[in-house]
Amino acid sequence: MKCCTDVGGTFTDCLVLDDQGEVHAFKSPTTPEDPTLGLTNALRKAARFFHMELPKFMSNVHLLIAHGTTLSTNALLTGKIAKVGLLTTKNFRDTIEIRRGYKNIRTSRFNVFVPPYQPLVPRYLRLPVEERTLYTGEILKPLKEEDVYSAIRKFKEAEVEAIAICFLHSYVNATHEKRALEICRREMNGAYVTASHEVLPVYREYERFSTTVVSAAVGPITAHYLRALEERLRDIGFKGTLYMVQGGGLVQSVEESARRAVSLIGSGPAAAPSGAIRLGQCINSNKLFSVDMGGTSYDVCLVRDGEIPTTDYNWVGDERIAMKMVDVPSIGAGGGSIAWINSLGLLQVGPQSAGADPGPACYGKGGTQPTVTDADLILGHVPADYFLGGEISLKTDLAEEAIRSVADPLGIDLPTAAMTIFTTVNSLMADEMTEISTKRGYDVRDFVLVVGGGAGPVHGAYLADLLEIPTVIIPRYAATYSAFGMLNMEVGRDFARSLISRKSLLDLERVNQLFTEMEIEARRVLGEIGVSAQQATLRRSMEMRYVGQFHEVEVTEVPLGKIGPKELDEITEAFHRRHKELFTFDMTEREVEFLNVRLKATARQEPLRLAEIPRANGNADQALKRHRPVLWSLPKGYEQTPVYDGTRLAWGHRVAGPAIIEEPATTVVIPGSYVCTVDSVKNYILSRR
Amino acid sequence: MAPGRVDPMTLSTVWHSFQSICKEMRHVIDRTSQNYLIAQLHDVSVGIWDGTGRTVAIPIGLSVQYLGGKLSVEYVLNKFKGDLDPGDVILVNDPYHGYCCHLPDWGFYRPIFYRGELLFFTLCRAHQMDTGGSYPGGYFPNAYDIHAEGFCIPGIKVMEGDKEREDVMELILNNVRWPQGTRIDNYAQIAATRVCEHRIIALLDKYGKETVLGCMEEMMDRTEKAVRAAIEKIPDGTYYGESATDDDGTELDVPVWVRCEVTVKGDTLKVDFSKSDNQRKGFVNCVFNSTYSNALSALFMFLNPALGEYHNEGSLRPITIYAPPGSVLNAQYPATVGASPVSMGHQIIEAVVSAMSQAVPNKAIGCWGKRYGHYIFGHDPRTKEKYVVTTFDMDGGAGAVRGFDGYEGATSIGTLGEVNKGNVEEVEMRFPWRTVRWEFATDTAGAGKWRGASGIHWEVENVGGDAGIATGSSDGEVVRAPGALGGEPTPNSRSFLTRDGKTERIRGHRLYQLKPGDVILKITGGGAGVEKPAEREPEKVRMDVIKEFISIDKARESYKVVIDPKTLEIDKKKTAQLRSQGEQR
Repeated sequence: MKCCTDVGGTFTDCLVLDDQGEVHAFKSPTTPEDPTLGLTNALRKAARFFHMELPKFMSNVHLLIAHGTTLSTNALLTGKIAKVGLLTTKNFRDTIEIRRGYKNIRTSRFNVFVPPYQPLVPRYLRLPVEERTLYTGEILKPLKEEDVYSAIRKFKEAEVEAIAICFLHSYVNATHEKRALEICRREMNGAYVTASHEVLPVYREYERFSTTVVSAAVGPITAHYLRALEERLRDIGFKGTLYMVQGGGLVQSVEESARRAVSLIGSGPAAAPSGAIRLGQCINSNKLFSVDMGGTSYDVCLVRDGEIPTTDYNWVGDERIAMKMVDVPSIGAGGGSIAWINSLGLLQVGPQSAGADPGPACYGKGGTQPTVTDADLILGHVPADYFLGGEISLKTDLAEEAIRSVADPLGIDLPTAAMTIFTTVNSLMADEMTEISTKRGYDVRDFVLVVGGGAGPVHGAYLADLLEIPTVIIPRYAATYSAFGMLNMEVGRDFARSLISRKSLLDLERVNQLFTEMEIEARRVLGEIGVSAQQATLRRSMEMRYVGQFHEVEVTEVPLGKIGPKELDEITEAFHRRHKELFTFDMTEREVEFLNVRLKATARQEPLRLAEIPRANGNADQALKRHRPVLWSLPKGYEQTPVYDGTRLAWGHRVAGPAIIEEPATTVVIPGSYVCTVDSVKNYILSRR
Repeated sequence: MAPGRVDPMTLSTVWHSFQSICKEMRHVIDRTSQNYLIAQLHDVSVGIWDGTGRTVAIPIGLSVQYLGGKLSVEYVLNKFKGDLDPGDVILVNDPYHGYCCHLPDWGFYRPIFYRGELLFFTLCRAHQMDTGGSYPGGYFPNAYDIHAEGFCIPGIKVMEGDKEREDVMELILNNVRWPQGTRIDNYAQIAATRVCEHRIIALLDKYGKETVLGCMEEMMDRTEKAVRAAIEKIPDGTYYGESATDDDGTELDVPVWVRCEVTVKGDTLKVDFSKSDNQRKGFVNCVFNSTYSNALSALFMFLNPALGEYHNEGSLRPITIYAPPGSVLNAQYPATVGASPVSMGHQIIEAVVSAMSQAVPNKAIGCWGKRYGHYIFGHDPRTKEKYVVTTFDMDGGAGAVRGFDGYEGATSIGTLGEVNKGNVEEVEMRFPWRTVRWEFATDTAGAGKWRGASGIHWEVENVGGDAGIATGSSDGEVVRAPGALGGEPTPNSRSFLTRDGKTERIRGHRLYQLKPGDVILKITGGGAGVEKPAEREPEKVRMDVIKEFISIDKARESYKVVIDPKTLEIDKKKTAQLRSQGEQR
């Protein structure tokens, strides 16, 4: 059996793929103080389902994929991080505080009333070491080891728990960093020690140092958590392999994850796109827009040709992380997002959220501000009596009271206000999607929308309608979308080396050598987790730009094997094409420049087999549960709308909108412009009429 | 239903779409341009105006380049009346024909048509690596007149029907020193305006012309109302502020003054620069557009920060800005303007900030570390090509604001932190200069209850061939920009040249020849403080000492906090004594 667990903000999800190829979903409340507890509870639920004692069940699980995202990301966001010491090239100890002058990351520049950035390492713990390497790799000043020892003494005195070693130009020659690393590991017993060439061996020191410092800051808590997780799993009888989801969209062993702790950051939304790719296969589509609408955030990922996009331009809180992460832009829009009126008299939704506690007003847990879920309830989209299969009963009167707080100042009635909230949040999400697709030069209408998250199926069809997207997939596992993605993720790792040269001066031997070097390392890393060379898939890429430009374009059309002049020309051609595609122009007469060479090494795997459901016998009326009033359009007012019981729908059933399907974990809203069919594996496929 | 021409949901959607279009434009430029200033330092602005030149969206850019972009759009409209077609792109850089702030800032304008009707304009303005003239870069002093500062482009079509006018572009690029690189940047800018056109047409298709234009009117009205409400909260009265630049670059060591009177009356606000110095021979003169843009930028900081990305024509209606013709802030042809974005541009902001900090003391702002830049041009023996490089790496950080210390590292009040600093690893690879040291410098922050951010120690060595340095974009060796409510002004900056073991002081607004092996050292002043330094919490002072942001001497002299040099603990008794003496005085 294969098991995937996702520790979310509210729930810990667990998906089990049994030996018959059936997938089963389980949920248990997240336990923030010790996440392994909630995890054990979810696993216990699964064991009970299979009529087994927990240890017996666990001994049957051969592979468990988990992520501690919330842990390392939250540690960073809430400042519950290790005390870090930074060892850096003398005369350059302020790189992470000057931070290239970045100021307002998320607000307008006219807002100067923002507290200054607090670096993860205060200045008195950033200690200089005399040494200097040049951009050519040549050593200008040898490492002064006394400086390392003297820094260690100060670190010990200050009781630092982690050390980041960050020297200039270590991406081209790491001799000094390696030596300092060796000394620190030997002398600083128990501390978490890492160096920039281990974390991210590519040029641009601010970005590399910042990423390395983050890795050190979350290193101890991550390592500690991973150890606890392993122990807990061993205690309950688990004997299989444990993998962690990485922010880069792959899964990796626990040891490797602990070594490069920063790689776990952002792993929460990184899993979903893998699931979207598998779902796309159900309708033979590889152009997908994967969206995940949870309680507080809306994560969007555009997947083209089955490739999961990544980016190295990431900010987590106020920290710059330059590691390649799955490109999942996120906005603060979810079921819990709060509606408010800004100083221009505009209704806005989010990014503030009522979260899980107190949650939307209608939960009756003390929330008084109007949220998206409150609007959904008033519109009749979600049922008061069957939310989460009836686990939570929603209070319509509280929702009304909350919505009134924005309706009155705007001078509109309750239904209009609810509709305005609903439409505003939809537009916000649709705008984000348009921005993402046009930024990459694609027409959003050519994509299939794959919708996950608790609130996703309520809003999905409306988003598609706004964007004129013809097809929407609402998967069977929409409510455990992230864990479903994990079931489909690839095992492997990304590698990168800097190689900075114009094409005319490019040393092909060096290119081939770097690829070979990375491929040897890849085989070793994969070998450590039992993946043989035959099972491995290697994908190369090169980052290029026109000479003089500052940003590179990743070209994936790089063949395996020896790269000669002919291959180089083909790669250059591919670069021109890609540049034009992305930015509307190319300059074929202009010389190109190479920056980084990259390798993605993954273990080959079969696509996940999804179990088929029984074929329909008769029409969907047999699943008709009741009629409820739903507000589809303001002029028409509330209309009695058929509601179907999702558990009774079968393969081939067809439900024309306007209609609602109630599932235990979610509600699917089908507006009049869409028709829903149930496919062989219980996905709801919505097609635009 | 509340009164209004459009429903709230469409309004909100259309409004945010205009903003996100601007963000996309900037993204295109970021990813494709090759000029260090544009791609890395973000010396670039984009925006959207309507078919009559009213401001629609101005969320991103350097204030001086585009907040007053309406004046430029009006110029283009008048000049090409009846002669604008879809796919036209117009290039302007002339301050006297098109209101650009100085010649290196090239603006590409695209009229946007919908079903044959001119409805919008977009502008993308960015600082080019060269624009002709006597010396490479932009900021060289002592030009005879505007023509000696560079090639003046008065508004000409460089694209017609989205086809390049190749002969015209050839003429232009033949007059700059790096035609290949400049061409890339020009393409990047043109591509950005094309993206804007596509997106605006899609918006019009989706909601219809009437709705989009209706939203636009509503946007302007609402912003106007919000800005008036913000002004209304400021007590009526006239507030005075002033600031100076070291000199005009030609007549050396004679400061040039900006003096402003901000008069608040009900829900209107007037900034009058009549008392400022007259137009100068040197290169610090501002055309009115620069004065207008910079003054707005300063005011926006005081007018409800939530309005940040929402400013538009409505924000401009209650505000009047005046500088008499012939003033250094409303220069007339053929005055030189090369340094004006820095020298005078920053002083405009500083003077207005100083006046407004008196008007709204609970939102007082200290001025930022002064710009202390330069251009270095020379020969790179590795590529055998000539190069020009500028940087913001040495500029001191932000001024304090009431409630917070200054933002460390943030760069130049003229850009409000919009420009970035570079990476040593990028610079050393690209240019034949090796960075020797780049760190905060001790005792370079303006003291205050809330202190300014620190200045910087920046030291580089020439590992290339013969070169020159023009220190035109620098200021603050003599004059200091004001703090607020008793905070210290910005500390002075200074620079040195070391050759063959001998070190000499070098000055701003000059030109120097450089030899291989020369080392340039700059130590800059940081931001100004807010409120009296002696009121700063002693523990914060102690932490600043431990972090070596300030020295023990400075702690005693400015902050009246006595710290034991051995234990680094506060001597509470002596501190109390010192502070009470200060009060009695």
